[in-house]
Amino acid sequence: MKNVSVTFTLNGDLVTAEVPATWTLLKTLREYFELTGTKEGCGVGECGACTVIIDGNAVSSCIYPILEVEGTSVTTIEGVAYKNGALHPLQKAFLENNGVQCGFCTSGMIMSAKALLDQNPEPTKDQIRTSIAGNFCRCTGYVQIVDSIEKAVEMIKEKK
Amino acid sequence: MSDLLYVGKNIPRTIEVDKVTGRAIYINDLKRPGMLYGKILYSKYAHAKIKSIDTSKAEKLPGVRAVLSGYNIPDVRVGFLKDQIVLKKGIVRQFRDEVAAVAAISEEIAEEALDLIDVEYEERPAVFDPAEAMKEGAVLVHEVDARGKPITSNIIPLPWKFKAGDIEQGRKDSAYLVKDSLTTTWVNQCCMGTSGCVAEFDMNNNLTLYNQTNVPFLDKQRITEYLAAIGLKGKNVRVVNVTVGGSFGTKLDTDIYEFISIQLALKTRKPVKILFSREEEFRALPPRQPARFTIEQGCDKDGRLTFRKCEALLDNGAYTSWGVTTPSVMMMPMSSLYRVPNVSFEATCVYTNNIYCQAMRGYGNPQATFAVEVSMDRLAEKAGIDPAELRLINSNKSGDLTPMRLKITSCGLEECINSVKKILDWDNKKSKKRKRGLGMASLIHVAGGARVYLSDGHGIMIKVDQNGHVDVLESGTDQGQGSPTVISQIIAESLGFRPEDISLTFGDTGLCLWDAGTHASRHTFMAGNAAIRACESAKRQILQIAVEKMPRLIKSNLKREQKKNPNFVEPELDYNMISDPEKLDIKNRMVFPKAAPDHKYFRFEVSDILRSGLHVGIGESKVIVAEAFYDPPTEMLDREMKGNLSLTYAFGTTGVEVEVDEETGKVTIVNLFAAHDVGKAINPTLVKGQIYGAAYIGAGYALTEEMLVENGRVMNPNFRDYKMLTAKDVIPVEPIIIETDERDGPFGAKGIGEPGLVPTAPAIANAIYDAIGVRINDLPITPEKIITALKEKEEKD
Amino acid sequence: MNNYDYLIPTSVQEAISLHESYGEKSSYIAGGTDVMVKIKQKKIRPQALISLRRLKGLDHITYKEGELRIGAMVTHRMMELSPIIRAEFPVLIDAVENIGSVQIRNVATIGGNIVNAVPSADGAIPLLTLGTQIRAVGPEGERTIALEDFFVGAGKTCLKSSEILSEFFVPELPAHTGAAYWKHTRRGAMELAILGVGVLISLEDDMKTCSGARIGLGVLAPTPIRAKKAEAFLKGKKLDEESLKEAGSIAAQECKPRDSIRGKAWYRKDMVTLFVRRMATVAMERAR
Repeated sequence: MKNVSVTFTLNGDLVTAEVPATWTLLKTLREYFELTGTKEGCGVGECGACTVIIDGNAVSSCIYPILEVEGTSVTTIEGVAYKNGALHPLQKAFLENNGVQCGFCTSGMIMSAKALLDQNPEPTKDQIRTSIAGNFCRCTGYVQIVDSIEKAVEMIKEKK
Repeated sequence: MSDLLYVGKNIPRTIEVDKVTGRAIYINDLKRPGMLYGKILYSKYAHAKIKSIDTSKAEKLPGVRAVLSGYNIPDVRVGFLKDQIVLKKGIVRQFRDEVAAVAAISEEIAEEALDLIDVEYEERPAVFDPAEAMKEGAVLVHEVDARGKPITSNIIPLPWKFKAGDIEQGRKDSAYLVKDSLTTTWVNQCCMGTSGCVAEFDMNNNLTLYNQTNVPFLDKQRITEYLAAIGLKGKNVRVVNVTVGGSFGTKLDTDIYEFISIQLALKTRKPVKILFSREEEFRALPPRQPARFTIEQGCDKDGRLTFRKCEALLDNGAYTSWGVTTPSVMMMPMSSLYRVPNVSFEATCVYTNNIYCQAMRGYGNPQATFAVEVSMDRLAEKAGIDPAELRLINSNKSGDLTPMRLKITSCGLEECINSVKKILDWDNKKSKKRKRGLGMASLIHVAGGARVYLSDGHGIMIKVDQNGHVDVLESGTDQGQGSPTVISQIIAESLGFRPEDISLTFGDTGLCLWDAGTHASRHTFMAGNAAIRACESAKRQILQIAVEKMPRLIKSNLKREQKKNPNFVEPELDYNMISDPEKLDIKNRMVFPKAAPDHKYFRFEVSDILRSGLHVGIGESKVIVAEAFYDPPTEMLDREMKGNLSLTYAFGTTGVEVEVDEETGKVTIVNLFAAHDVGKAINPTLVKGQIYGAAYIGAGYALTEEMLVENGRVMNPNFRDYKMLTAKDVIPVEPIIIETDERDGPFGAKGIGEPGLVPTAPAIANAIYDAIGVRINDLPITPEKIITALKEKEEKD
Repeated sequence: MNNYDYLIPTSVQEAISLHESYGEKSSYIAGGTDVMVKIKQKKIRPQALISLRRLKGLDHITYKEGELRIGAMVTHRMMELSPIIRAEFPVLIDAVENIGSVQIRNVATIGGNIVNAVPSADGAIPLLTLGTQIRAVGPEGERTIALEDFFVGAGKTCLKSSEILSEFFVPELPAHTGAAYWKHTRRGAMELAILGVGVLISLEDDMKTCSGARIGLGVLAPTPIRAKKAEAFLKGKKLDEESLKEAGSIAAQECKPRDSIRGKAWYRKDMVTLFVRRMATVAMERAR
């Protein structure tokens, strides 16, 4: 299989992937870039564990053709913390409010939440739930995940 | 207890920062040098004879390194009853039977190779209903047992018979009697991280298994036995857990895929990873045990329970795993939920060609409690007694010895029932509002270990380095419940250090001592008690060094002060205060005399003490290392299925308010209150997290979740059609933490992992009855079942 | 193993020529949420995927003189957030905000949803009630097809080989018209509907009598359908609980639901009767 060349911005850096055209963004992230933070929970876009942000929108990377990523800006969980190593308020909030248990859904949850907060810094509870409606979690019952996102909203407000 | 620094506080899970930064390594992420990918070929029929397997085409596919079938690996029997072999030979007995396996350089090539394996089957008639399978003349799922003896019935000879007291006398003493039939079906654990492992042999044939197990030491034992049986006796097995993406009971067995990865690794001399796809996770992962109950209960005119008799029919599926051991746990609510003098419980387990089952959070208790608690409500109605009142009348109390010989120590059941009653405004709102209803159900569960095996021990090793950093080797495992944080809190509190000083290693049989397993909601209780004991030893060692070295440290400090300030007068110091370890204490990393905690000269940072013990120059230097193996004074169940298998028990009550749309049959949970006697909440936020998560799984169990199995085939093997709840399915859950301060628990704590789930379904079922006057005794209570029941009720009226 | 070329044309004509040259072995791909899943599940094995994403002129939402135009490549998310659609066509919001999840809606297009032609296509039912016309472009040029003629079987449309659905066109609706859609599911998100009911009601000036109705039903036949007998029944009638109940019963008779793992036929029929009434009520409120 011939490789194709795809150039895009990944967590702030301009990168080029040389992968088969049939690869999805998820496979490219995990195997070409060895960024294993984005998870595969089902492989068919039904669970949200593979959520990343492309040009500000949360998408399921397991069904995203790699060639459609050309020229876009992609953010994964590895790009959420600040460049100086400080955790993003969402990451802090998840740790402080028990929004993380086994952690498998966490990358996807944080990306969905980040996409929401970047567009809407003061969402209602219902808007928060809608933003993570496509992210399944078996451990938490979602309650403390919503709590964590609300706390992150407060933290971000305080910073300003 | 009142001046605890860490226990009882909502310490954040900062120790698990890797999970929020994408750095935690799950089995999906693990890569070993030269690693190959294994895939499994499953049976095409529910019951068939394998006429031939031709793997030659698959072997020739470039990139394929091994193709195995039942015909080229040894026939070693595995499983709880040793009724299956790793790759099936001769007969396949269920759709998920593993028929062949491939190891290749990529997942895609391995999958392609599966398509190239030709298997010729001769289909056989199959049996999918345990009631049918029990009958004489039914198709036999197995023809011989593990020892080669012919089998003539699908009924499995298991000892699930419990009797206490005199049922007939109980019936005679009853003023009111009820009898009900209830059923529960297969539900999937739905871990977000799918199953899998990586098997790797070194060149001496010692095995390392990177795994996600709840039972590393039992896993190691079973695998060691397996290796011995395939000619590798005496070889070492090390089971090492990676980060686990959820368990909910899926990782208590040694699964067939583990044995397959081991065989592939042996054949290829390379590490082999097997990772389930989501579809495999639904089709091939053993789910929760379904059960059919017939239950009778009676009470006297004052509402005191007189007897409880129950028969259960369990579909074992084709092979035996933990699923059909659930009756051993079902006996607990049957005999000991509420005070009931005469009890009989019998479970029949039958082979069928359906999927077989394993453990799932609650391990039989959710199923059994559904039966008991719906029956209780029916009895209350028959007797004209309020259902909450009936429960209070028969509530367990501290000091009880139940018919199963369980010794009830701390017991907050009454408080749980009352707190739920109050917050639901039970007396005012019950049976008043049309379409809205209230219901409750309680639970009893083991919470102080569970002596399922001959040892119920848990070992911890601690070492403290010269900087005062604590490394802990914890023989339990972490599935996400928060153990690293909770155990750090307990150790920090016991040692006098801070949680951030502590690093923990879980679930590595090469490093850790031994543990029966992270199951039965026992981890905090067992690990906590072991940790406290280990810390006692470690603390004593540190304070012994302090006693020996402090005088010299003090003197050199005084000398330094003298040098700085010539007018300094050396004070009179009472060295007697620090002459014995018993006179010292540690708090916040400071060593100090108990008699004068703020003493100007007698307080030292613990690292100063530790260094003085290690960096001695001449003579004996000391390191701090301590271990404790805690095995509680409990007993295994005897032949009568009786015995105090846990040191303490969890109690709780879930109260629910529902609203039912009588036109669509949809149920909305308006409020769910879960009161739990947890002894002591080591970390209240984490305790609540367990309750929230368990309540959601319980609500799914009650209303939406079911594996649709038709003629042995799973028809909904994906998240689209398996109805696990989403974030938009809002259930207002409020946990109510009741602390009864269990004297045998670490800082008073008891288990909570499973209890949160157990009473949810019956509470919802009871609330639905209160709302619309129909009982659905068959989980899940779907809209269709409600509409059908309402139509039938209308016709009757 | 999967092995396909992934082609990214920049004009509709280029896309059509590519499709013609690859023929049956190629597949158009819009958002990919259906096509990529079908490939993973080995339901289709194309040799080439022809992406429609960079085609110009297919992502507009315009509303002029009562006529609504939606480009085929408009995502469900774009529709969900469109102030025009929220204000003027809330029935479309009823549908799109309940499709899948935000992740799916950010990528899945309304055109792709309609072309995929599953009986549960949430986008299709409301568009059906709005009397939508489809514009398609192919090697033989452009043509207009009524949406109700578009579906010919489960998963099948009347699109000819290499034709691309380019635009949805909703003609001006009569005054006092309102529409509502209900997606009946078991849980709050990530659902394929058990059934879908869309009702459009146009009222006479007395605001009580029905001058026209359109009822769209999803998952109740191999394709999305209209309950024409029920529609005819309502025309000219005073709309009250009785007439709406009756309309619901008639609609239930018109559909042919099956038993499936997602629901039983009898339940679906019962729900049609119920939701025609409930959605008609909402439609009437919106009409006022």
